[in-house]
Amino acid sequence: MKRIENRYALAAIYLLLTAYAIFSVIPFFWTTIQSFKTPRQANSRVPLFIFEPTADNYTDLWLKAIPDDPFVVAIVLVAIFGLLVLVALNARRFPVPRGYVYLAVLAVGFAVLWSIPGYIKTQTFYDYFLNTIIVTTGTICISISIGCMAGYGLARYSGIAGVVILVAALGFRSLPGMSYILPYWWFGQRSGLYDTHILLIITLVAINQPFTIWMLRSFFMNIPKEIEESAMVDGANRLTAFISVIIPIMWPGIISTALFTMLLAYSDFLLVRILTQSNWTLTVAISKYAAGEDPGHITLAAAAAVSAAVPIIIVVFIFQGQLVKGLTAGAVKG
Amino acid sequence: MNRRTFYMFMTPSLLVMLSLMVFPLLTSVWLSTQYMTFRNINEPEFVGLANYLEVFQDQKFWNAFTFTMTYIAIAVPMIIFAGFLIAVLLDQVSRSIRGAYLAAFLMPFIVVPVVGTLMVKQLFESGGLVAWLFREVVGSRFIFTEQTVKGLILVHALWAATPFPLIVFFAGLQTLPHELVEASMIDGATRLRQVRYIMIPHLRSLFVFVGLISIMDAYRVFDSIFVLTEQNPIYKAEVMMLYTFRTAMSVQRLGKANAMSVITVVLILVVLVPFLARTYKEQTEER
Repeated sequence: MKRIENRYALAAIYLLLTAYAIFSVIPFFWTTIQSFKTPRQANSRVPLFIFEPTADNYTDLWLKAIPDDPFVVAIVLVAIFGLLVLVALNARRFPVPRGYVYLAVLAVGFAVLWSIPGYIKTQTFYDYFLNTIIVTTGTICISISIGCMAGYGLARYSGIAGVVILVAALGFRSLPGMSYILPYWWFGQRSGLYDTHILLIITLVAINQPFTIWMLRSFFMNIPKEIEESAMVDGANRLTAFISVIIPIMWPGIISTALFTMLLAYSDFLLVRILTQSNWTLTVAISKYAAGEDPGHITLAAAAAVSAAVPIIIVVFIFQGQLVKGLTAGAVKG
Repeated sequence: MNRRTFYMFMTPSLLVMLSLMVFPLLTSVWLSTQYMTFRNINEPEFVGLANYLEVFQDQKFWNAFTFTMTYIAIAVPMIIFAGFLIAVLLDQVSRSIRGAYLAAFLMPFIVVPVVGTLMVKQLFESGGLVAWLFREVVGSRFIFTEQTVKGLILVHALWAATPFPLIVFFAGLQTLPHELVEASMIDGATRLRQVRYIMIPHLRSLFVFVGLISIMDAYRVFDSIFVLTEQNPIYKAEVMMLYTFRTAMSVQRLGKANAMSVITVVLILVVLVPFLARTYKEQTEER
């Protein structure tokens, strides 16, 4: 479309867009500032922009006691996780199948995260962080494994049953989570699974399954049929062809879907709030800080919000290419 | 692929969806006919349709219903209009700067809903930026009351829900055929008329899509309102999901809560069925 040339009109457009951009980012900006203040500074009558920043809110949130040499610990941790991310991003350059590389990275990452409380005295917030990681990783692994098979079947089968399943899945996806979660609560109470990670993982897998199969199906549809057909002519049956020929070229699609599953599992609130008593994930834990009464709760809540937002922003930043691929696959928000 | 192989590949996923989506929905219908609290989870008492009668006579339910409908009626047109306006304006600026604007616009979309709500709320806390501005302009302290919380809910909806229509419309505008626009320029069409007679018809299917998704999202909104009203449970600022939640978890009337969730599902199906029928037709035509 031909652009507007009138200088005043253009200035007005920039003004409006900038105002909206400020509106979009100001909560992040302000919360980050508040999280580095003392409660006294945060509650001052006139908002303070110049002050002496303090990291007390973060240390209070995460740690029971500050380790003797905090900088060494921080550098070691950043180095380990930076290395792991680098290995994961370059998985295809290793001489072993990519699946094994990802598994190894996950295993090392978990081992490090679990051993941290042995060296540093951490707060319960760290436990909620670990819960979030267990639940998110478990959900991704199960959801993608069964979703890949279903997505592949749906992409290749031309019978009417496939369409019925897809449309039904879309319908189930559109219903509010509450209509499943109250029965889940009842199952959980009766079976004794209430407040366990297992219950959270299997219910999150179920709730995200319709979305997963729609998205994976659209990725599988882009892979030409001839690829597995030539493998099957060579004597492989469909399952071996699927595992040894299709999956290796599907990794970009799998990673995109895994990212969206991660975002959904990480941000789920209602399900975790109802199905847990103490094994909260971060989202439920931080909602507790919003309801405090003492003057310190504002800065602590700010630090908690920033702490929970940072991992997501890092992931989005690293994987923005895959996220765009997923968005253009047209299955988002199924 | 033959039918047997198809079901072999589908089985794990189908089992999960049948046992954890279809079966719970049926359980929910069954639970809605029982009198159940936290005390008698193991031996619920059958009461027939009494829960439904109680829901229909419950003033708080109707308050929540009215507020949900008001919220949909105000928030959905508001975010669609804002998203469309910003998308059209963004289309006018030079390519080099679009990326920076888009990155800023997408921040509320990326962040976890609960965290985003908490961040918006920080602005309104005592000592917050907007609370200070409010005091400077209006002259009195900003306090959380029924009215201000409702306003806050709408501001938050505008903040959190606009990026989705914005990005969909912006992507749609990139596919607008150049010839059409140029022809209309030669004919002397004004900018407003171009928007009205070229852009809006071109984006019609996207308007339907975005409208439907936004209505569904507004209908089941929970996280943000839960966080914004947790401090002071004002029942009049409650949406249906939140009232169902409180009935189940705080009042501990599980049968009644399930009755409400069945009513919700029925209401949603009214909107959903035509859309599903259309998807079904599209998908069958595709093969």
